This record gives sequence, structure tokens and C-alpha cells, in this order.
Amino acid sequence: MPNWNRLQTNSFLECSARDRAVGLVDEGSFVELGGPFDRLVSPHLVALGEAVENDDGIVTGVGRIGARPVFVISQEGRFIGGSVGEVGGAKMVGIIDMAIDFNDRLVAEFPDLPPSARPLVAISFETGGVRLHEANAGLLAHAEVMDALQRARHKVPVVALIGSRIGCFGGMGFVAAATDAIVMSEFGRLGLTGPEVIEQEMGKDEFDASNRALVYRTTGGRHKYVMGDANFLVDDTVAAFRAQLADLCALPVSSFEAMRRIGSPELVEKQLRGVALAAELKPSDARDVWRHAGNNDPVGLADGPLADFRKSVRRLAL
Amino acid sequence: MSLETIEFTVAGDGRSVSLSRRAHCGVVGSGDLEVLLEPKTADAAVSVRIVTPVKGFDALWKRVVEHFVAETGLSGLSIDINDNNASPAIVALRLRQALAEAQG
Amino acid sequence: MKTEQRWDKLAADTRQRLEAASAYIGAGKRVKAEDTVALLKAVIRSGDRVNIEGNNQKQADFLADCLNKVDPAEIHDLHMVQSCVPLASHLDMFERGIAKKLDFAFGGPQAGRVAKFIREGKIQLGAIHTYLELFGRYFLDLTPRVSLICAYEADREGNLYTGFNTEDTPVIVEATKFRQGIVIAQVNKIVDKLPRVDIPADWVDAVVESPKPFFIEPLFTRDPGLVTDNHILLGMLALKGIYAEYKVKRINHGIGFLTSAIELILPTYGAELGLKGEVCTHMVLNPHPTMIPAIEDGWVDTIHCFGGELGMEDYVKARSDIFFTGPDGSLRSNRAFAQTAGHYALDMFIGGTLQIDEWGNSSTATANRVSGFGGAPNMGCDAKGRRHATESWLKCGQEVPHMADQIGAMPRGKRLVVQGAETFGEGRAPTFVEKLDAWQLAENAGLDLPPVMIYGDDVTHIVTEEGVAYLNRAPDMATRMAAIRAAAGYTEVGLKADPAETRRLRDANIFKTPEDLGIDRNRANRDLLAARSMRDLVDISGGLYNPPARFRNW
Repeated sequence: MPNWNRLQTNSFLECSARDRAVGLVDEGSFVELGGPFDRLVSPHLVALGEAVENDDGIVTGVGRIGARPVFVISQEGRFIGGSVGEVGGAKMVGIIDMAIDFNDRLVAEFPDLPPSARPLVAISFETGGVRLHEANAGLLAHAEVMDALQRARHKVPVVALIGSRIGCFGGMGFVAAATDAIVMSEFGRLGLTGPEVIEQEMGKDEFDASNRALVYRTTGGRHKYVMGDANFLVDDTVAAFRAQLADLCALPVSSFEAMRRIGSPELVEKQLRGVALAAELKPSDARDVWRHAGNNDPVGLADGPLADFRKSVRRLAL
Repeated sequence: MSLETIEFTVAGDGRSVSLSRRAHCGVVGSGDLEVLLEPKTADAAVSVRIVTPVKGFDALWKRVVEHFVAETGLSGLSIDINDNNASPAIVALRLRQALAEAQG
Repeated sequence: MKTEQRWDKLAADTRQRLEAASAYIGAGKRVKAEDTVALLKAVIRSGDRVNIEGNNQKQADFLADCLNKVDPAEIHDLHMVQSCVPLASHLDMFERGIAKKLDFAFGGPQAGRVAKFIREGKIQLGAIHTYLELFGRYFLDLTPRVSLICAYEADREGNLYTGFNTEDTPVIVEATKFRQGIVIAQVNKIVDKLPRVDIPADWVDAVVESPKPFFIEPLFTRDPGLVTDNHILLGMLALKGIYAEYKVKRINHGIGFLTSAIELILPTYGAELGLKGEVCTHMVLNPHPTMIPAIEDGWVDTIHCFGGELGMEDYVKARSDIFFTGPDGSLRSNRAFAQTAGHYALDMFIGGTLQIDEWGNSSTATANRVSGFGGAPNMGCDAKGRRHATESWLKCGQEVPHMADQIGAMPRGKRLVVQGAETFGEGRAPTFVEKLDAWQLAENAGLDLPPVMIYGDDVTHIVTEEGVAYLNRAPDMATRMAAIRAAAGYTEVGLKADPAETRRLRDANIFKTPEDLGIDRNRANRDLLAARSMRDLVDISGGLYNPPARFRNW
């Protein structure tokens, strides 16, 4: 086990999936379930002669923040780009279902249990989405995770934490959008179609994936915060992500409704207002939207220290 | 196109340094590997199992692990590795780190 | 009767060429972009020696493209004499038959095509040089007749501002113009007033405002996010085993990740070793962004630069106590002078390599790429003409046991030349080999010599994850080879090491492992870096560093 106290000051961006899982919950409380010694390797990769990992690139387990049981899923971008296949998807579903079952049992037995002692799911995303090697099994895994999130609705809050190297793209971008709250750092990236895929489909003139500044100002944490896709923008340390998660742990599940992106007729209408605004504004760059939101110096705002950004940024009102 | 499994045992040098607990270290990133060390009670030998997509380096793996065992005096454990084309330097590094984890 | 000998044929020929071009050259020596091909046709003759400015950074790319548009039936057999050939257009002119012969220093991205063209006879190779060597020949037997150079701005008279990226321009212009040659400049912009004059107008014959800014490569930017634990281990070994051991103050760093790691652990591990003010105070170095933490922490007194580095403009301007800057405040880089400092004034060169053989010869050549040398050999060698002494130079020399075989009792110093590399590189390719690929390349491309970057007798130290080999302390070739084997880890070369002999080398301080040096391998991780991301570098620079788009992850 890594040293918990040292982990807190570490860059979240730099942390492995296991370090994030351990550091996000209270010291010494993380218990890994389905860990490397259980040897849950992907049979598809074995068949293809590709390197395997004993946790299939996803760390799952449970810990505590205060009195609240926190069920943790943490994806490892260094193993095949954090891609989610059959085994990893099943691990995610298993942990979400475990949180729901535990919640149901607790509430049945202790109806007066305060919200801050009821289960919560935290997902630290680092993934490009479906593991292409696993084809339909990988796609199905995504659908099953989506389904599990629906089962958790109004029972167990699901919080997304995005601040790792790969970001959160592809099918897992949809999954993140379906969670109750999204916490990002400025190094986090969130999107549906990944930059390389956009370039491949639409051409380099439309989107140059090697232009990291462009990629980040289209998918990065600061932009997602302006757009309202991310609810919270925190510093790049494990402690900062953990502190935000701990704040959320104080809230009842009902309080998360207002943070969601999808899942109600009102939210659908809000999304449609966004579509209408895009049609009207015809932005050629993310900066145009920042300006529309009331930020007069989007370039300076993007380049300045994060603390200044948080203080002075205007977020898009839809 | 299949994964290569390399298995061998290394006899300890009689110093019998044993592990008190199991340990895991590393991520199977490109050019990297994960190492699992587990104490075993059956015998004093070190059983080694390496799963890798790269063929033709059996002798090199053996040299690296034998050197690690000789350097540490370990016995009575299994070493389980999932590799993705790691260089011997990285292998040696992860083995040392896993041992530090087991002893830490 | 004595016939009258003419002694100004060159000048007369130049006059004639410029007259032929006069229709295209307007006021202030200005030439319209669309007239550039016609201009080149007027001033260049078949068989001329031509220089296209371009090193591993800025490129006279527009002029190179224009030269490719001349008709090879009219202009052919040019002899290209230039630092680098990194652009496709540099090779296209050989393909088209416009150019025939090549003398250069560095191939860069076109290294594969250079090898192929030599083999196919499309390039007649003069020689592969170091920068200084080639610059020297500009003033002797390879003087360009026409040079196509590159600057940021020109004014209405034709004065040039090369500014931050002055690089090779002065040496090319000096050699060309003062031997009656013709100098044509492409500039990004023509302005009323230049920030400063780097090249005076009367050394320039024509100025073209290029349709787009010249190409420039941020070649010296290393993202701290990509520094690995092994780079850091090697960096710790170098710092404790060499920098601290010899108290090396005057250094050049190569461009690999090992030296980036060293730069990034100076303020942490270096400080812990008490090295601040003791090492790295004077450097010949491009403005490496990874130097920012050490500079900000007060480690460095002076840096002189070969060239610029995109994004470092404002930072350098604001640190004029450290860098050489002009009256306008911006950096004045100069490759010729930096290489001179690199050859004569440094105490140490440290850099990476692809291959090292059993005798310690090291090379970055691969079998099918003529990548050339650039500047490394001039810094990675013992300058035989050096006569001033420093502590580290003397110590390194004193440790050489066989010095007396050459010069008897006479004391002499030696430059530290350090090669650092992991024992295996990309794709598990061994760094230590029985025979360098350079031999195969020499055969494939018909070269006179295998292109060796640094000869074994110049290499004084090798650093790998196994430890530090102090080759300068080896009394004979057999010991030297044993020390190299000890450093070579699990490569075929390393597997030949005899453990008992390695033990003897360790006792004699000719080879030291991390443990011998008291280095805890577990500390070799990214926690030790003073900056772990590009964003950290920007923040530490107080917002003065402005990284190119491709390096920004926020």
C-alpha cells in the first residue's frame, strides 16, 4: 500500500489507479475487491496474444469518508489506454450493485440513517472508452454500466472524478455524463469522440489532434467548467479531489439532482437550449463560447493560474 | 499470435530470506510490467511465471530473475509477472520495488 | 609580354549576376515573393556552392521551396554546403537533379532519405561534419557562392533582425559576403524600424517577405511529464557520481530526457547534496524550458545559447543577467560562438546515445539513416588546444593513469565526456553492442568512415542504471572494457562481465553501483522533480514561459 499521507500532496494526474483509489478515501480504509491476486484477466486479450493485467486495468473496492461507505472504481490509463472491456465492465457493475444492495439493506434496517452514512460511488475515470479488442463484449460492458447507474438513481449518488492523463472519452464519456456530479482538474479532459477520432473523421483542418492547446480548450477541465459539464474544478492534488468528494459526502442523494446533466425533462430542455445557442452563436473556437458567457479575455483567463481562474470566470448560463 | 508463458524455478542460495506477506507492484503499461510476490510454504524454491506477448527472451528473463534472487537471498515464494515488453532494467526495478512493498 | 592577370573575377561575376537580377530587386533590396524563383535563376549558376540556412531549429524554407522550382536543365549540379537538411525540399532538389553534391552536419528527419540518395548516387557526399568544422570550411574551401538565409524582420534598407534565433546567420553571411558572394534573405515581415540590427544591410543583396513565417522546431522542449523513474535514477547517479565528485561548473547538456531529469532534480536532489553554486553555474545550452526551476532557484550564473527555443522569448528577456541579450532585450543566440565555447571553455559534456561498443565508441547512427553529427562531437571531446585550467578539468586529467605514456611527468587536464543511457532503449534494443550500426551504415551509404559521434578515447564516464563507469581511471584497454561490461547490464556485452572482476573494479573506484554511491534506488521517482508538468514550468517562470500549443495540456 502506498503511504496515504504522502499520496495526498501528490499530483492526481500522476497517480496510478490504485494510488487514486487508496488516497480518495480515509487513511487505511480502502479494501480492494477483485484485486490483482484474484487474477481477473481478460480472456479476449489472452486469445489475441495481447499483454494482460490481473485487475484488467480497473481497481475496485470500498473505503470510508467519515461515516460514509464509499465504493470506489478507478481506471488505469497506462493499461491499454484505460479501455473498458468485459472483465473491467463487470467489475464496475459489480461494485455499483454492491453499493446499491448495501444501501437497500442499511436503509431497511436503519431508516433514520443520516445521508452522510449511506453508500456513495466514486468513479475515477481514465479511459478512451470501449476496448476495441473485445468488440461487442466491450460495448455491452458499457451498456451494463449505464444500466447500473440507472439502478442507482435516487438511491446512491455516483460522483465522477476526472483528472488523469487519458481523460474520459468514448463510451465512458457518456457514462460520466450520466453520473450525478463531475469533479475535474484543469488537466482532466472529458468528451465523447476523442481528439484523434475527430481528426481522422473530419480532417486536420477541422480539428488538429496534435495541437494540445486546442484539444484542452475544447475538452479540458477549465472549458468543461465554463460549460457547466463539470460541477467542480479542483487543484491537481489527491487531497483536493478528496476534499471535494468529502464535501459531497455530506449531501443526501436528493441534493445531487441539481448537479446532473441529464435525466429529467427540465435537463433535456436545458440541453436543447445549449444546442440552440450553438446554432445561433456558430462558435469557431471554445473561446467564442467563453466570451459569450461574459469572459472578455478568454486567452488570459485560460493561461492564468487556476486560483485566479476560479475567482474571475463567468460560467455559461443556459 | 498467443501469449507466451515462461515458467521456471530458481533454487535459493540457502540464505532463506522469506517473505512475510504478499505484494503487488507495477502497471502493465507499454514497456512496463506488474509483479506479484507471494510467500509459499510448500518448498524453498522460487517459482517464477512470466506472461508476455514477446517471444524469444526466455534466457534473458531467467538471468534477470536469478540475479534478483541471488542479490536478495529470497526463498520460498512465487513470482508472477505480467509483462508488456519491459526492458530488463525496468524488470529489475519493479522486482526490487515489489520486494520493498512486501517488506515495508 | 606579360598578359594582365585579373584579380577581381569573383567581384565582376557577382556584379554581372546582380545586374541580371536587377529587374526583380526594388528599393530597400526588396524582392516580391512571386519574383523569387526568377531572382534565384538570375543569381545562381550550375555548379555553384549554395547554402540554404537551416539548422535543427529555424529554416529558410520559402527560399528552399523556390530553389526547387528552377528548371534543372538550366540550373543543375549545385553543391549544397549547409548545416542541416531537415526539410523534404532540401532532398527534393537532389531528386530533381538541381543539386548534386552535399557537405553538411546534420540530417534530422530526412536522415533516411540522405542514406538512400547516397546509395542511389543522387547525392554525391562531400563529408559529414560537425558544425564548427563545417563553419571552418566555409572560410577555406567550402565558401558559399550564394546563401539563402532567414530572419524575422528586415527594415526598408535591408537591415536584418535575426533576434532570438540568430543561430547560424552571422557565420554564413560573413563567409559568403566577404568573399564576394550573394546573400538573399527571407523575412517574416518588413518593418519601418527593427528592434536591433543583427545583419547590416550592405551584407545583404536581396530581401523577400515570405508568404508565411519560417518554419521553426521546438526541438529542445522536454515535457517533464514524460521523465521516467529510470531517467531520474540516471540523473541521481550523474549528479552524485560525477557532478559532485568533480565539482563541474561549466557544462553542456544534450537534449535527451536524462539531462532534462538532471535539470529538474538540481533544485531538489542537487540541493540536498549541497551542490548549489558548486556545479552548473556556467552553461552552453539552448534555453531549455526544464532549466527554469534551477535558474529560478539561483543555480545558474551564465547561459550562452546556440539557438533559441520557441516559447522561451519572454522568459529569457526577463532574465538578462543569465542570458546573452541584445540592446532590445531579446536573446542573441549564435551557433558558431556557442560551439566555440562548447569546444574550448566547457569542463563537461553529458548526453545520451543510441549505441556504445565494447571499447566505448558511441554513435547515434542506425544502419539506414545518415543523421550526421551536429555539434555533439565538438563538445564531446577533449579539446587538445585548451590551455586554461579548472578544478574539474585537472582532477579528471590527474585520474588518467596512462597520461605519462604520452607526455611524461607533464600534468594536463581532461574534459569530462559523459554518455548516459539505459542499457536497453526503445523496443528492447540493447545500448551496448559488439559492433556499432555505424559500420553497416558506412557500408550501406559508401562512407569513408563509420560515423562515430564520440570516440572511445574521449568518453571519460558512462552512466547506466547499473552504475557509473569511470573510464578515465582505467589503466589499460582491458580494464576499460571490463568497466564498460559492468555498466552494460543484461545486454550481450554486459552478460560477459565477470562478477569477480566487477568486484575488483568497484574496489578500485573504476565502477560504482548506486549502492556504492549511497543512492537509494527507491527515491528515484517523480516526487524528486522540481517541476512535473509543462504547467509547473509556466507557473515557476511566473507566467513568462509560453509553451507551444502542442505542449499545453490545460
